[in-house]
Amino acid sequence: MTAKRKFNIGDRVSVVDKTTLFHHRTQKFTRGQSGVVTEYRPEWVIPEDEAFDPAGNGRKEPFYIVRFKQDDLWPDYTGHHIDTLETEFSESWLEPATSKGKR
Amino acid sequence: MATMQYDKLLTKVRNLSPEERDVLDSPYTIPNELYAALRSVLHDVGGQPDTPQPYFLKEEEDWEMNAYLTSECLAWRGAWNSEMRRRRENDLGATEYFGLPYYARWITGAAKALVDEKLITVDELSAKIDEIRERLEAKKK
Repeated sequence: MTAKRKFNIGDRVSVVDKTTLFHHRTQKFTRGQSGVVTEYRPEWVIPEDEAFDPAGNGRKEPFYIVRFKQDDLWPDYTGHHIDTLETEFSESWLEPATSKGKR
Repeated sequence: MATMQYDKLLTKVRNLSPEERDVLDSPYTIPNELYAALRSVLHDVGGQPDTPQPYFLKEEEDWEMNAYLTSECLAWRGAWNSEMRRRRENDLGATEYFGLPYYARWITGAAKALVDEKLITVDELSAKIDEIRERLEAKKK
């Protein structure tokens, strides 16, 4: 059964900046940053659970690809202003965008 | 600038810049910022300063594909999954994580998984490594 997705393609989202212990796959340079959902990824066991359970009984969530502006991610970015970076998140790492980006 | 000259220059410049390190020696107390930094997952290297690296295509070697197949078989038989494998790579610690070749991280993690799952003991594993080494060295002669 597939849960209803909280976000749609084109939505502006922010990455939650929460305390983490042990295994996770949310790059620290994305914490608190805002970007746009560009792609749905299949629902799967979240890495925080999957990393400790060979049986695959962890919590499942929909995943998303989010596109960020490189200018937002790196304060000293020297590339083109239109450059972007895309990476993947499980749904609980995202919330409706709070601002244009933390910097 | 010719490639050789550039490479030489880069090596020189790279060695000029002093490496700054905070010496960590099991301190009695640490600030919260340091605790947060220490909790950063080892594989999360994005944003760390580095110099340009040469780009080249690398052929896969037999031992690398054997490491891959061993890891897949362990997953097939329910001993782990690829996220557990990544977690185990991180759990090797910084020295081994960054010191070992990519697939050596896989196979070292797999060896630890076998021990954790009680599928093999450490001394059985060592004995097997010695046996294979002897066999390979005999072949060379």
